[in-house]
Amino acid sequence: MPITKGQTFQDSEVVDKYRTLYYAGASGDFHPVHIDPEFGKMVGLGGAILHGLCTMAFATRSVTNLIGDPGKLKKLKCRFSAPVMIEDTITMQGTVADIKDGLGYIDLKVTTQTGAEVLQKVVAVVEE
Amino acid sequence: MTIDIKFIGKEYPGYTYDVSKEKIKEYAKAIKNLDPHYVDEEFAKKSKYGTIVAPPTFAVVFGAFLIEPVFMDKELNLNMAMLVHGEQEMDFYEVVKAGDSITTMAKISDIKHKEKLDIISLEVTSKNQHGRDVCRGVYTFVVRK
Repeated sequence: MPITKGQTFQDSEVVDKYRTLYYAGASGDFHPVHIDPEFGKMVGLGGAILHGLCTMAFATRSVTNLIGDPGKLKKLKCRFSAPVMIEDTITMQGTVADIKDGLGYIDLKVTTQTGAEVLQKVVAVVEE
Repeated sequence: MTIDIKFIGKEYPGYTYDVSKEKIKEYAKAIKNLDPHYVDEEFAKKSKYGTIVAPPTFAVVFGAFLIEPVFMDKELNLNMAMLVHGEQEMDFYEVVKAGDSITTMAKISDIKHKEKLDIISLEVTSKNQHGRDVCRGVYTFVVRK
């Protein structure tokens, strides 16, 4: 789908109780901070936290749904700035910030219901 | 315990991962992304790719085979209980398709020390069976002290 400068999009995801287990199984990342709430508490995280890469995958979905072709995504970069907990709602708000030389540069804000930015310094570049 | 910067540049043995359409579907379900490119074989056949393709972030599935040896590296001795994922960068080249055979290499690209944490970055590169790049990833982990 063609994108235009200034175009906005939104997506969201509620982290269900077992999401970290599904993600652990699919990704192979069984780090106890993701699958064991007691362990998460013990190391000061307040419970089991969602894999940062799962949040990043949700963010990626918002972009690939916009462009309609996963092969057009060229670059993704982000900082995992705050933990995502079970039952959090993650909201992605995106804007096509610029289109230059056939590439689209996407601004993406990824927050939870508290307003905390869980991904920061997000870079997403797509083919036009 | 501080991570010694002498490990910058350390390389890990490559791993070749065979991509199956069922693993792609499993991963797509786990990330709640049922884009027909990933899960609908009829759609995929008619798409420009001609078959099921992997979501871009599927690169972490074959990438994990290089991350785990780093985490388990006794010489490096990371404090896994205090480790969290800090940053992630991914550059995508050729699309990964079901049936591809992806070879991944990794090396420690950076180690930094801060007052309360250490930061370690791994550069992970993957090529397909044709020798063409599919993904370059930089995984940055933070170890709280």
